Amino acid sequence: MISCIEIALKKEFRDAEGTSLKKKAASYFGINIQEARCINIVTIESRLDQDQLEIVKDEILTNPVTQMSSLTPLDIGFDFCIWIGYRPGVKDNPGATAMEAVSDHLGKTFGPGEGIYTSKRYCLKGDTLVPEDVEKLASELLSNHIVQQFKVFSIKDWDKNTGANVKPAKVILNHTPCFEVISIDSDAQLAKISDKRNLALNPRDIPVIREYFLDPEIMESRKKAGLLKPTDVELEYISQARSDHCNHNTFQGIFRYKDASNNEEVIEDNLFKTYIKEPTLKLKEKKDWVVSVLWDNAGVGRFDDENNYVVTGETHNSPSNMEAYGGAITGIVGVYRDPMGTGLGSKLFMGSFGYCVGDVNYNGPLRPPLHPRRLLDGVIEGVKDGGNKSGVPTTFGQTLFNPGYMGKSLVFVTALGIMPSLVKGKPSHEKKTSPGELIIMSGGRVGKDGIHGVTASSESYSENTPAGHVQIGDPYTQKKMHDFLLICRDEGLIPFITDNGGGGLSSSVGESAMISNGCVVFLDKVPLKYEGLDMWEIWISESQERMTIAVKPENLDRFMELSAEHEVESTVIGEYTDTGKLHIKYKDETCAYVDMDLLDKGFPSWEFDAIWLPPELRGLTEPVISSPSDFNALLISMLERPNISSKEWIIRQYDHEVQGGSVIKPLVGVNHNIPSDACVTRPVLTSQRGLAFSQSLLPWYSKIDAYHMMTSTIDESVRRLIAVGGNFDHIGGLDNFCWPNIQFDPGKNPDGKFKAAQLVRACRALKEACEKYEIPLLSGKDSMYVDGHLEGEFGERIKVSALETVQFSATSVIEDVSKCMSMDPKFAGDLVYVLGETSNELGASEYYDAFDETGLNVPHVDFDKFKIVYKTLQKAIEKELVASCHAVARGGLAVHLSLMTMAGGLGLEADLPELPANTGRGRLFNETLLFSESAGRFIVTIPGENKNIFENLFKGMAAGCIGFVTDLHDHLKIFGVDKEPLVDLSIARLDKAFNKTFGDMI
Amino acid sequence: MRKVKALILTGFGLNCDNETAHAFGLAGADAEKIHINTLVSGKINLEDFHVLALGGGFSWGDDHGAGVIQALKLKNHIGRDLLNFVDQGKLIIGICNGFQALVNLGLLPGLDSDYTKRSVSITFNDCGNFRDQWVHLTSNAKTPCVFTKDINMADYPVRHGEGKFIADGEVLKSLVANNQVVFQYADSNGVPANGAFPLNPNGSLEDIAGICDPTGKIFGLMPHPEAYNHFTNHPDWTRKARILKREGRTPDRGMTIGVKLFKNGVDYIKETFF
Repeated sequence: MISCIEIALKKEFRDAEGTSLKKKAASYFGINIQEARCINIVTIESRLDQDQLEIVKDEILTNPVTQMSSLTPLDIGFDFCIWIGYRPGVKDNPGATAMEAVSDHLGKTFGPGEGIYTSKRYCLKGDTLVPEDVEKLASELLSNHIVQQFKVFSIKDWDKNTGANVKPAKVILNHTPCFEVISIDSDAQLAKISDKRNLALNPRDIPVIREYFLDPEIMESRKKAGLLKPTDVELEYISQARSDHCNHNTFQGIFRYKDASNNEEVIEDNLFKTYIKEPTLKLKEKKDWVVSVLWDNAGVGRFDDENNYVVTGETHNSPSNMEAYGGAITGIVGVYRDPMGTGLGSKLFMGSFGYCVGDVNYNGPLRPPLHPRRLLDGVIEGVKDGGNKSGVPTTFGQTLFNPGYMGKSLVFVTALGIMPSLVKGKPSHEKKTSPGELIIMSGGRVGKDGIHGVTASSESYSENTPAGHVQIGDPYTQKKMHDFLLICRDEGLIPFITDNGGGGLSSSVGESAMISNGCVVFLDKVPLKYEGLDMWEIWISESQERMTIAVKPENLDRFMELSAEHEVESTVIGEYTDTGKLHIKYKDETCAYVDMDLLDKGFPSWEFDAIWLPPELRGLTEPVISSPSDFNALLISMLERPNISSKEWIIRQYDHEVQGGSVIKPLVGVNHNIPSDACVTRPVLTSQRGLAFSQSLLPWYSKIDAYHMMTSTIDESVRRLIAVGGNFDHIGGLDNFCWPNIQFDPGKNPDGKFKAAQLVRACRALKEACEKYEIPLLSGKDSMYVDGHLEGEFGERIKVSALETVQFSATSVIEDVSKCMSMDPKFAGDLVYVLGETSNELGASEYYDAFDETGLNVPHVDFDKFKIVYKTLQKAIEKELVASCHAVARGGLAVHLSLMTMAGGLGLEADLPELPANTGRGRLFNETLLFSESAGRFIVTIPGENKNIFENLFKGMAAGCIGFVTDLHDHLKIFGVDKEPLVDLSIARLDKAFNKTFGDMI
Repeated sequence: MRKVKALILTGFGLNCDNETAHAFGLAGADAEKIHINTLVSGKINLEDFHVLALGGGFSWGDDHGAGVIQALKLKNHIGRDLLNFVDQGKLIIGICNGFQALVNLGLLPGLDSDYTKRSVSITFNDCGNFRDQWVHLTSNAKTPCVFTKDINMADYPVRHGEGKFIADGEVLKSLVANNQVVFQYADSNGVPANGAFPLNPNGSLEDIAGICDPTGKIFGLMPHPEAYNHFTNHPDWTRKARILKREGRTPDRGMTIGVKLFKNGVDYIKETFF
């Protein structure tokens, strides 16, 4: 029987969801709703009788104080009603928890064909509402056709008895699982099959694959297993393993790099090895705090004698671009599995975000899949639910806007974990699988999720077709699994653990079996969300919230006992062997039987042509802009710019305090509303140590040269750490590359060679920065296709590529958190210093961007010179000579003096003639000094009595006392090169500007 | 020496168990993190403890109202044990999600000694969103609540999407009359916020941030005292520490007002039971 329970707030209570809908309808579309009320619908397909349904309604689903409910449609008036429900197969988290609650409360188990599904309806009243507007709200605000369906009712066509007539959103496949044998008589035939089945095999891989399967010796051994020609399971396995996502073919490829200014050509064979692996391994030798790098799901550094920390970062761009909420929540919940699957498993203790999106006020002709405004809303909410419900503080994050991200937005998510360095006396960062150990899958079940990505989006839907390619993460299921696995770890039950991400079991089992050198997997044992999946689908499905774990047979009972206690599903799906074979069975039939070392069979490297055109050759010059006359208005306008202005509304939606270790928060200052340089957390509550964490994103500089983009980004992230009290001798790095397509194609990607050269240059810069600053790269990832083909005004599609972007994250361990520093000036009378030189480096700055100019003089990083300053500053902070400290970043000195003034709530006066400056790259006018984005700089306040000792410390370095903090007024006053007054703005005025753009958002 | 034993619930999406146990530990208790299912199965008995803490988190994802399914599960399986625990005069504290669960269990407000009736609700914030923010709290000097003894004001963080305390006029009147309103959102001088956002971050009626039962032994609050377990948790610590130092004074790095709240509970048990 199918029953629907409708639940709504009693009329006297404020309907927050309805209010938010009203507000967004008005501000996004100019649609005026007078009243909006939201009804939750729980659809139950079961054998429950009427009495039981009443119990479920009253005792589980209805709050007697605030809510009303009914087993028939609630009689709430409307002009139009919108019903929104999930498509079949989309993760319905509230539906799943309702089933848990009903099972527990009624002592009932749900059999096949039974289930609980949730949906919503919105009752709208408005004199001016017309059906087209309501359709627009339904399709462009309340639902996304990829994961949801909607119906619109006007009051005329509403049947009070049937209501929205909600059917269970269940998947019915009516398919008998099977596997196929594939003919590979010729390369052309295999290429055709690859196209047809979306295997995305590289044409150069095809002969290697055929050669393997046609090898007489291989054929002989396969014959014994009952196979001859390759099966679809095997080809899918190879396709996954050889994909750029899993194999990083781009970074391991061959680049023919040519500098067009002198025609010199260099062959770069394997960027990863040359620029990431080798320098990091060298640094590992030198830095004894580096514990484990370059092989596991995340890197490991030492936190203290008893604990190690774990760090990794991911992007989840393509899915977030299609379905922002689902993509982002899947992204954050997904990256949280990496630390859980590092070493023997770590406990998560913080996360961060980075969003790069198009202009939220865009109103031009291009039609991205989601408007940037809607996309950002969805992404923010996805990370909110994913992070908060995981119980992990989101302590840092940045959001930036650039038209290039309208083609594809970027969603960076970063995760940090902590683990005892020894588990049962053995190093926790080591793990291995051994023959005889059982392969266990824990967590969620397997469905058609994430199979072959977005190709499914173009297929037509029937009522029960699963919408599998975009998923919705389930932090609740994962949190239960997280808690459970840490107990198993501490009891010594886990010799090996890894997560199921891209490639699903194919990757997690395939890679872990390489250690024991073989496995046998029984796909029919894998628990499914619904029946009817083919073997290859079970094998490569990317259904979320799953870990793959090795357990010794003698520990199985205890493992399963704990699993049951935590209500986590765990299943033995196979066994590790040492046969040298990946052997996959379904019931009694073998559906894959290949050599574990198949992937080492000489697959060719990818190749790229890279041609570097220096910016001068590309015709870039400095723009011709005379000095402004109204610096007050100019600074106000800078503070209002989206890339500078306050994003407090995003940060406050994220729990940044859970776990109780917050030391330096993401928002600081007297009013707790200025973004901090970095955050500091105590992951071990009994320790005085803290983990400092910062991130930087400066993609604009790639418009001039990705080399300097990379060096500036790393330099900024390091300065951010130093500013809060970080330790220069312990800086761990994490590189997240997001690049537009670099494979040249005269028609489809005519500037591919240039973008390839930018990548090579960024990698060279990465190595240089890491060597000079001694930053081992604890982890890193790449996402190589950040381009979109957007529909235009006349039916054309225009390719929009993102800027070449790297998010660099940096970690440091602070021995005593009581020495930590914040950026707010604290005392009237303190002196204001600027450390580091200001040069004419406005290239690709926020200042030039304000005039739609790019320029040429991109900031340069002088590592050797800068690091002496950083070490000295670290010493000054440790000696408690400093009262506040802030790294000068995007927007330059004027913007960052404003931030400090607001943070301190005190007046501040600054004289530009006292600023350490360098004319080596061009003349310095007032606007150059105020808005240049030269790297290597800090603003510091110190008590007057420390003047001599401070200046002695910095002797020979660029350090200038530019002014003082005052309580005689509450203004920021800046005097120009001729001592003329340039800026005189009250804190209230600065604050108003800083909060103008997004200040009314909550 | 006998130790006060505190049970901190874990599992099913609860997530503040670690720091809550830590804070109880600093307060002198022997704190154990116990999975809800081990209480349900009877492997662990509630009566072996003196204090029960229902901590923060998203139990069952908060999918059908914050703390609702947790309350139902506890009621169904250990409802009797909970009432016995209350009868024995032991202490229960519910923080954030735990407060929401206590309210849905009916253990709060416990008017007329009825510990099963749901008469108040904690619902969606007026601001329409989850919010992380430090708040000032002023406490009721006349409250019987044992946890807030000698605490006049406190700063703790709130981190919730559903923290608005509501009840009908009569219930509210009784709560005020019985001095069951323990904490109110206030300004930095301790004057109640009178509904002004963001001092009152969620629109709670009467600025209510926490209430107790008429005996003062069951206490629920939305702000997180356990998140103020170390002096560096406070958002103004970098400023305050340097001001004190400049004045030639040493910053107080002893027990925070967060831990003090737990210590009050622990001390009460020592005085009453040992």
